[in-house]
This record gives sequence, C-alpha cells and structure tokens, in this order.
Amino acid sequence: MVATITAFAFEVAPAIAILPLASFVIALFAGKYLPKRGALAGIAATGGSLLLSLWVALTVAGGATYNEEIYSLVTTPNTFDLHFGLLLDPLSALMLVIVSLVSFLVHLFSLGYMNDEGEAGLPRYYAGLGLFSFSMLAFVFADNLFMSFVFFELVGLCSWLLIGHWYREDAPPSAAKKAFLVTRFGDYFFLVGVVAIFATFGTTVFAGPESFPTLAEEALAGSGGAGGGAGGLSTFGFGPGAWFTILGFLVLGGVIGKSAQFPLHTWLPDAMEGPTPVSALIHAATMVAAGVYLVARMYGFYALSPTTLAVIAFVGGFTALFAASMAVVKRDIKQVLAYSTISQYGYMMLGLGAGGYVAAVFHLMTHAFFKALLFLGAGAVIIAMHHRQDMWEMGGLKERLPIPYYAFLSGSLALAGIFPFAGFWSKDEILFEALVHGIGGSPLLLGGYLMGLTAVVFTGFYTFRMVLLTFHGEPRTHTARNPHDLGWSVKTPLAVLGILAATAGFVNMVPVGTILGLERIELLHGWLDHGISGLTVEHYGELTHDFAGYTTGALAGSEVLTVLLSAGISLALALAGAGLAWMLYSGPNPEAHTERLGDVRTLLMNNYYQDEYQVWIAETFGTGVARLSDRFDQSIVDGAVNGVSEVSLLSGDRIRRIQTGIVSNYATLLTLGLVVLLLTVGLAGGWFL
Amino acid sequence: MAVAVQYYLLLSAAMFCIGLLGILTRRNALFLLMSVELMLNAANINLVAFSLQYGNLTGQVFSLFVTALAAAEVALGIGILLVLYRNFGDVDITKATTLRW
Amino acid sequence: MIVELLIGLCLLGSVVLFVAPSRYAGRLAAGWSLLPLALSLFMYAGFSGQGNAFLGGQLAYETTVQWVSLGPYTLNWHVGLDGISMPLIALSTVLTTAAILSAWTPIEDRENQFYGLVLFLEASLVGVFAALDFFVWFVFWEAVLVPMYFLIAIWGGPRRKYAAIKFFVYTNVASLVMFIGFFALIFGLGDSIGSLDMPAIAQALRAGELGSLAGVGPATLKTLAFAAMFAGFAVKVPVVPVHTWLPDAHVEAPTPVSVLLAGVLLKMGTYALLRFNFTMLADVAQRYAAIIALFAVVSVIYGALLALAQQDLKRIVAYSSVSSMGYVILGLVAYTVYGVGGATFQMLSHGLISGLLFACVGVIYNTTHTRMVDDMSGMAARMPVTTSMFVAGAFAYMGLPLTSGFLGEYFVFLGTFHADFPGAAWFTAIAMFGIVIVAGYLLYAMQRTLFGPFGVATDHGDGGAVRTDGGEDADSGAEHDIKRAAAHDVVPLAMLLALVIVLGVAPEISFGMIRDAVAPLLTGGAG
Repeated sequence: MVATITAFAFEVAPAIAILPLASFVIALFAGKYLPKRGALAGIAATGGSLLLSLWVALTVAGGATYNEEIYSLVTTPNTFDLHFGLLLDPLSALMLVIVSLVSFLVHLFSLGYMNDEGEAGLPRYYAGLGLFSFSMLAFVFADNLFMSFVFFELVGLCSWLLIGHWYREDAPPSAAKKAFLVTRFGDYFFLVGVVAIFATFGTTVFAGPESFPTLAEEALAGSGGAGGGAGGLSTFGFGPGAWFTILGFLVLGGVIGKSAQFPLHTWLPDAMEGPTPVSALIHAATMVAAGVYLVARMYGFYALSPTTLAVIAFVGGFTALFAASMAVVKRDIKQVLAYSTISQYGYMMLGLGAGGYVAAVFHLMTHAFFKALLFLGAGAVIIAMHHRQDMWEMGGLKERLPIPYYAFLSGSLALAGIFPFAGFWSKDEILFEALVHGIGGSPLLLGGYLMGLTAVVFTGFYTFRMVLLTFHGEPRTHTARNPHDLGWSVKTPLAVLGILAATAGFVNMVPVGTILGLERIELLHGWLDHGISGLTVEHYGELTHDFAGYTTGALAGSEVLTVLLSAGISLALALAGAGLAWMLYSGPNPEAHTERLGDVRTLLMNNYYQDEYQVWIAETFGTGVARLSDRFDQSIVDGAVNGVSEVSLLSGDRIRRIQTGIVSNYATLLTLGLVVLLLTVGLAGGWFL
Repeated sequence: MAVAVQYYLLLSAAMFCIGLLGILTRRNALFLLMSVELMLNAANINLVAFSLQYGNLTGQVFSLFVTALAAAEVALGIGILLVLYRNFGDVDITKATTLRW
Repeated sequence: MIVELLIGLCLLGSVVLFVAPSRYAGRLAAGWSLLPLALSLFMYAGFSGQGNAFLGGQLAYETTVQWVSLGPYTLNWHVGLDGISMPLIALSTVLTTAAILSAWTPIEDRENQFYGLVLFLEASLVGVFAALDFFVWFVFWEAVLVPMYFLIAIWGGPRRKYAAIKFFVYTNVASLVMFIGFFALIFGLGDSIGSLDMPAIAQALRAGELGSLAGVGPATLKTLAFAAMFAGFAVKVPVVPVHTWLPDAHVEAPTPVSVLLAGVLLKMGTYALLRFNFTMLADVAQRYAAIIALFAVVSVIYGALLALAQQDLKRIVAYSSVSSMGYVILGLVAYTVYGVGGATFQMLSHGLISGLLFACVGVIYNTTHTRMVDDMSGMAARMPVTTSMFVAGAFAYMGLPLTSGFLGEYFVFLGTFHADFPGAAWFTAIAMFGIVIVAGYLLYAMQRTLFGPFGVATDHGDGGAVRTDGGEDADSGAEHDIKRAAAHDVVPLAMLLALVIVLGVAPEISFGMIRDAVAPLLTGGAG
C-alpha cells in the first residue's frame, strides 16, 4: 500500500510542471475571456504544483527516490540518447517546493500588483508567468544535462518575455534583449559543454551507475589522473583531469550567465525594468537560481576538479563583494535589491566552490524566501507609492504600511545575516565552510572567504540604508504621505514569506549543532544525505576530499572555537554595517551621504563601467566586424560577381563594333577570312612546297 | 578544235575576281547584284568547261540550275532593293546601317 | 503512380490557373494547392520506404518506365522516395500552400499567372526531390529556375530585373559546372552503367568501378568531379563565397516567393549535395572533410555577421539563411547519424522557420510598405498576433528548445563534435557561436521594429518621408492605416509555427525516417 502511494506520487510528478504549462496555454488563448485574465488559472496551477511538490517531498522524505525516463525525443539505437526524464531526490524535491511556493505567491501577489492597477496585456503576463514556472520546474527535476539545457534556455525566453512586458516603452525591450543576449553568451559555453559531455561520456544523465559524474570519477580513479585515454572515454587529446576541468568550465559559462556572476552580471540590474513580481520570481526562485542549482545538481562532476572549484569559489567571493559595493549608492529600491541578488548568488557560488554543498543549497533556500519577500515588499511599496521607486521620495512608510514594513524588516534582517534570521544561518555556514577548508590545506579559499566576509559589512549597510530610507524618518514627498491602499493578495504573500524568512534558518543550525553536539539538529544536512547513492552529501564530501584535496581544518585545533569565531565575526561585521547605516540615515530627514564619496560614488553609480566596456566590446567586435564584413561582401565578394558580368558586357560591347552594318565590310571580312583559311590550310597541308 | 580547259579556268577566275572586286568596292546595291551575277556566271563557266572536259552532262545541268537560282536571287534582291529605296531614299548600302549594334 | 499524380496535380493546377480569371485566382490556387498538400501528407502517413534510395534501399512509391534509348544509355522515368526525400516533398507542398495564402494581399496584378507559376514551381520541386534518373532530375532541376525567374522579374521590387537575371545566370552557370563534373563521372564509368539511373551510378561509384578519362586517373577524376559538383551545388545552397545572389533575390522577390525561395529552393542545393557529393563520392568527401567544414563554418559565422549589419528585415533573414545552411553542410560532412540526419532535419526545420519569418516580414510590409528597421517601431501595439508569430519564429530561428530549430542545430552539433575529421570539435565549437550572433541580430531587429513607442515612417508619394507617431493613445491609429493583419494572412503563419513546434517536441515524426535513410550512408564502404 505504501509502495503504491509512493509510486503514485512519482507517477503524477510530471504534473508539477505540466500544470503551469496548462495555465500558460489557458492564459494565452483564453485569458481575454477569463474573469481575472488568467490569474486564477495560474494561481490554481501553481497551487496544485505546490501541493504535488509537497507530496513528492514527503515521499522522498520517506526514503524513496525516482530516476526514470519519461519521454524520448528521438530513438537512436547506437548513439546518444536524447530524452526527458524525472530525477526526484532530496535536492530536486526541496527545490520543487521552493520554486512552486515562490511561484504561487508571486501569482497571488500579481493579482494585487498587476490586475488592480488596470494593466494591459494581462493574459500575456500570466502566460509568461505560467511558462516561466513550467520551465523552471521542469529544469529542476531534469534527469540529464540535455534536458537541463532545454529548460535553461526556455527560462531565458521567459525572462525575455516578462522583462520586456511593458514593450510600449523604450527601456524594457532593451533590457529584455540584454538579459537574453548576455545569458545566451553564457549559454553558448554551456551548449558546447553539453555537446562535449555527450561526445565524451555518451550520456548526460545525472544519477546512476551510468551517469557522467560517475563515469568521470571512475575514469579519474582508474587512470590516476594522468595519461591519455581514460576507460574508453574520448578526451579529445587532453588528459582526463584537464578535459573534465574544461568541461566543467564550459558548463560553468552558462551558470555564470544565468546566475549573474561576474563578468556576466550586467543584465540583471537592467532586468529591473520588468514588473516587480517578475523580478521576485526571477531572483528568488527561477532564472538566477537555475545557475546555482545546476552546479549543485552536477556537483559530483565539479567535485572532481580542484581548478574548477577554486574558480567557482573565487568568482563567487569576488561577485559577492563586487556587487555589494555597488548596491551601497543606489537610489532606486529595486536596484539595491538587484545588486544584493548578485551578491547573494556570489555567496552560493563561494559555498559550492568551497566544498560547502549543503551550505550553498541552504542559502539557495533561505535566499529564495527572503529575496522573494524583499521584492514583493518592494512591490508593495511601489504600489503604495504609485509606481515610484526612488527611495529618496519615500520615507516614513512604517506607520502607514505596517504589514509590509514588518515583513520587509524580517527579510532585511535575513539578508543582512542578523541572528537568528534565516540568512544568518546559511550565510554563516558558507563562510564557515570556506574558512575551514581554507585553513585545512586549500589556502586559495581563504581569499574567497575574506572577500565574502568584507561583503558582509556592505550587505548590512546597504540593507539598512534601504530600510531606513524607505520606511523610517519623515515622509519626503506627498505620495509618501498618502500611500495607496494594499489588498489582501499583496499582504498574504508578504506575511507567509515574512514568517519563512525569520524561521527557515532553523532547519540547519550548524553552529548550535556543533556546540551542543546535536547532529540531529542539522536537518537539511540529513535531508541531503539520503537518496540516490552518488548524489549524497557524504559522497560529495569524499569526492572533494579525494580529488580536490579539501580537508577540514580548525582554528587552534578546536572545532567549537572555529564555529563560534566564524559565526561571531560575520555577525559582528553585519551589525557593524547595519550600525553604520543607522548612524548615517536614521534621523527624520537623512542626508545623502553618498555624495561625500566623490569619485568613488561616480564609479559605483556607473557600476565600475562594466556596461560600458561590455557594450564597447559588443559594438567593436559585433557591429564593427559586421559592418566591415558587409562592406567586404558588397565590394569584394559581390564585386567579383558583378565584375564577371561587367567584363562580359564590356567585351561584348567592344566586339560588336565589328558589325558596322555596311555590307561591303562584311564581304571584305568574309573574303579575307576565306583567304586566311585557305592559306592556313594550304600551309599546313603543304600545298606550296 | 577544243580550247584547253585552263583557258576557261583563267576566264572564270578573271570574271570571279571582277565580281568580287565589284562587291568589295561598289556602294550602289544594283552594282552589287550585278557583281554577284558575274561571280555566279564565273562558276557556271567552270561547270560547263569541266562538263565538256569529262564528257559528262551533269555540269551543264548544274549550270542551268545555277542560272535559275540566280534569276530567283536577282528577283529577290531587286525586291529588297526596292524596299531599301523606299525606306532610305537611296540604294547606297553604306547608308542602310540601322541594324548594326 | 502516386508521385506522378502529385506532379500531375500541380501541373494541371498550373494550367487551370493560367486560364482562370484573376479575380478568383487566389482562392482557386489556395484550394487547389490543398490537393497536393493532402496527397503528400497521405503519402507521408503511409510511407513505407526503408533505407537509402541511392544505396539499394526499399523505395516508397517507386515507378520505372523506359523512356528513350540514346546511344549506349537508356533514359528512364524513374521516381521514388526514401526517408530523405519524403519530408522534403511534404515541406514543398506545405510551403506552397502557405506561400499562396500569404500572396493574397500583396499580389494585385496578373494573379492568375502568378499562382499558375507558383504551382508550376511546386511541380518542379516535387520532381527534383522524387527523381532518381539523372535526366529526369536535371529537367526538373532546371525547370525550377523558369517560374522563379518570372516570379521575381514580374512581381518583384524596384531592382527586380537585376535580381532575376543575377539569380538565373548565377545558378545556371553553376548547373553547367555541376553538369560537367557529373558527366566526367558518367564517362569515367564507361560501360559499367547502361543508364543515367542515379542509384546505379551511386552504387557503381561506391563499388570503385570508376575508370580513367582522358588520361586522368580515377582518384583525380573523382576529386575533380567532386570539386565541380560541390561548386555547382554550393551556389544553390548557398555557401560563402558564392552567396551574393541570395540577398538580392530575396529583397526583390515578392514575399510569397521569398518564402518558397528560402524554404525549398535552398534545400535543393543541400539535397543535391547529399545525394551526389556525399553519397556518390563519400570517400572524397571524407578525405576533404576539414576543408568542407571550413566552408561551412565560414558560412555560419560570416553569414551571421552580415545579417548583423543589415537594416532591411528581408536582408537580415536572407543572410541568416546563409548562416543556417552552413549548419547543414557542417552536419553532412560529419558522417554520423546525428550529423547527416541532423543536417536533413535542419533542412526541414529551416524551411519552415525561414518561411515563417519571411511571411511575417511580408505581413508587416503589406501594411507599412517599408522593411527598414529604422523606419518603424512599436508594431506590437498594432499587430499583436503577427508580432507574436514573428517573435515565436525568431526564437525558433535562434534555436530555442522545443522548436525544430533547436533540434536541427543540436543534432548537427552533436553529430559533428565527435566526427572523424581533424579539428571537428573546434569547427563545431566555432560554428556554435552562430547561435549567439543570430540572437543578437534578431533580438535587435525585434526590439527596434516591434517594441517601443509606435511609429512608422512612410513615403506618402509627395516626396518626403513622413513619420507618424502614435503617441500614448494607441487607438487613434486612424491617421495611419496600420491595422491588424487579415485572417488569411495569419493562417499560414500559424500553420508553419504549429509545425515548427510539433517537430520541436516530437522530432521522431520525421527524424525516424530520416535516420533510417541516412544510416546506410554511414556504413557500407566508401570505395
């Protein structure tokens, strides 16, 4: 009986993704005729997905897993197999719940944000949301890299559709184009990676004895990490280790693009042109999360290559710091949140690179909650402010919008990493992992750790600058004095997420567990440690230890001390940042202190001129080369073609001059020709000899 | 007494050359036609001469055939000439050059 | 006899259309074109062929009739289909119907002749894909040019005569070069063949029965013939650097003709390459694979770069066709199931998608009378359905998953990356960069034309170009007759888009038979 229920849960699991797809179709074709223009279909569909995801998660909690092919695109007897399949293990089950929950809440919130504002194009909007949820959910339960790529790309399409939702203006379509192009640039490497992994291993499935991480592991273990062909795998002339590192980098290209890591992060701040609920969806649960999730999904492969891990950690740490510094000076509330997203995903990458698989997944989860909360909170503020986003036009909204304020505060505390909110636990664990592996023999990770640590100060500062400017002090404009009312559909998601942002951290209280010696309190760790063999935390730990040489060190030889120190330092730094913000911006009429930064402010406001140089590169190497090619094509290639016709025309024109029209001339030529012919034949025939 | 065949040939060649010269130098279309007649008759002389030489009547028959053809040709030529005159007001062949390139 | 019926229906339709009154020609042609469409789909559904037509596979719908005896050679009427030609025939009939429907609005002059020529073109196209005797094939191959010439030269744009003559002369000279190459092979084979039957020739060549000709040994002869035929077919594909007729022809041709030109005519080139160069002379193709791949990669990247520099929507799509056809060549040269099969699938997919995009551009042009990117913006506000189709088509072109465009390219990449020739992985990786450039120019063009505030610059005939801005109030568009497209304009778009998505989700519908036909090509000795 239990077995059949388990099986049934997995049988219906595809519906988790199919339901939002159905809502996409309904909203697209029938949205016009529906009462809420497709919103209700979307809410029902994602609600259904949420329930199904929870059911699947419960089933997985019971120890069952599922790894089956469900649809074969092409049947190819002797070569690569392209199929869609379902991989339901603790990681994907957890992510399914997160994605469907956030998606459900975003749909609900949209009812207040979009419908009540009398927007045009609502069916298109809800169709986009449905397709977005569908793509992401299918991406999450993908059982092979090919399928991941398929839905990874679809996620990109959806972001394009939704960011450019207000297409009548100039900026959103441009931002949408940028988002798609920049991520596509990353996806190019991902595509090469997928094809290369196919060519190398003959398969791209994630789990099982025939999966590519397992094959790679065997190849490395078998050949001892050196030499040519490894276990019948074609490594294209490289040593297996080097080749797997290259493959890892290639796939990482897609991750860096989608998860907005340096240097491909430039699309994300622009993407704020989309409707705010969409930003919540993109940042918390779908597109940006996809990149990090992909690394977690194929962590067994990344764990084999120390170089890739180090690069992931470094890029992550750098991005965390880099983006946090830019968030400090922004005036637009959504811009602050955008840079904080980049920064937080940097932490996740740092965690993954530092061997903190659980920590990264943990942060992915808590971040999904508090970032969705912050965006929806910002959305609520934006509604109240009649679609103004400049924080300097706000102020004093605390009394007028109590529920959004407390929810937003909860999210901010989590984002800043203040004890005991969710972000504290997860961010601290990431930094802790980087620290212990850093001292344990991989000093490179310490660099990532230090950058992550510095970013903590910035995070605390910009978060509370945002809170103070928005909600505290005196209202600075008329609109801020008389904000718009908010409906239940806006407040409910805020309340739910506010509670989650405060409490989600308790599922994995590593410091408490270590100090008190309670292993069982680390629930997430335990959750990720069961399931399909080869995809467990324990196995990943072995891999990072064996292949990347990660060993756990401790300060002064004491694990408890290390934990306490690490947590203490990061908390102290976060508080310091928050305190600084409090000092500068707390009064009833705060001043714009950023002006004092002078040139640094200009640099930060211009985002380190990242956009400029990327646009310059695109202009020069894209448009410039294109223009040159066009000129070359028109003048030389086509010129040659036209030249041939010119030559024949011209020679025809010259030769026709012989035709004078005078019969006598023709007759002369005729005669002369005959004479010449006779002479030639005669000379050749020897008549005159 | 029979005249040796080479004299006929000389006569024929002379006539042919006169005809050819006429065609190459004359501008009046009527003279051109007459020159063509000369050349044809030069050929006829050859035919008759060799017919006599070999005692074979084929050459004679052929010369009659050529004469008939020449008559037809002249009729046609003069027809063209009339049209030429009507269109150009002249029978000078160097003037009728409309059809060149 | 069913292939003859198909060709006969098209020809009969052509005759009927020529004598029909112009007023009803559009509707009559559309209705008539449903007959070959239905017949070809019926054939597709009941397709029973197995293996490769040229390599002794079992053919579907085969007919052989002895026709003329000419010296030592017999000319046969020999037609038959395999898994490569069947989808292409279906593509031709589908695109013909789509083209006819999309011609209703723009073609306002001598309609009966226009549709008559289109149906004649369809007959020739079907013939090219079905013929198995060289003589028959060549007649159809050349017969395609005639209606195309008139379609461009009569109903085209301002420089139509230049474009039509360029197209005709260029491709005709190419045919000549190819013809020389092929006949060098025929004479080299000498007595070992008694007809111009292409499968027989292919098998003889693969069995190594080629002798020497005029003092040239078999190996050199093969290489020279390969080069000549490649050059000839490359013009049709077109491969850089012999591609310049294409943008001119596309820009000047009326939109429905562009649909057929990009959709089917280009496929004739790759189809012929597959049948002649890559089947008959597989060993040469494999020996010079790297060089051919270089041509392919240059076409992909260079074509895409050229598209990036264009302002005219039709030129953009035209150059991107050059780029997409480069993928086909790249796949053919790989000699793997995914490579050659993917190339064939890509022909099919590109036919549908480029047809779709050209038709979309046409619908926009019908109402704006401009195709310049700079001359319009915000079309989405006025033509939402057309815009949606354009967007979907553009994303399919960029290779978005769950459209056939993605699978076509993906198959090719998958097949080529681990192909045998030197540098295959590098060539593939470079060619893949095309997907970034294609996204660049299509997104750019869409952003400029479809989105943003509404505005169109048109020439009102009084000399100056007048720009009309719609302003915020999108409904006051009366000052300008930019309006939603008529249903009959949208139907062909929807039809093509549906096929693109169906093939993208269930590629097995055609990839199954393609793979079956391609497999014998990869095994079984290249002599």
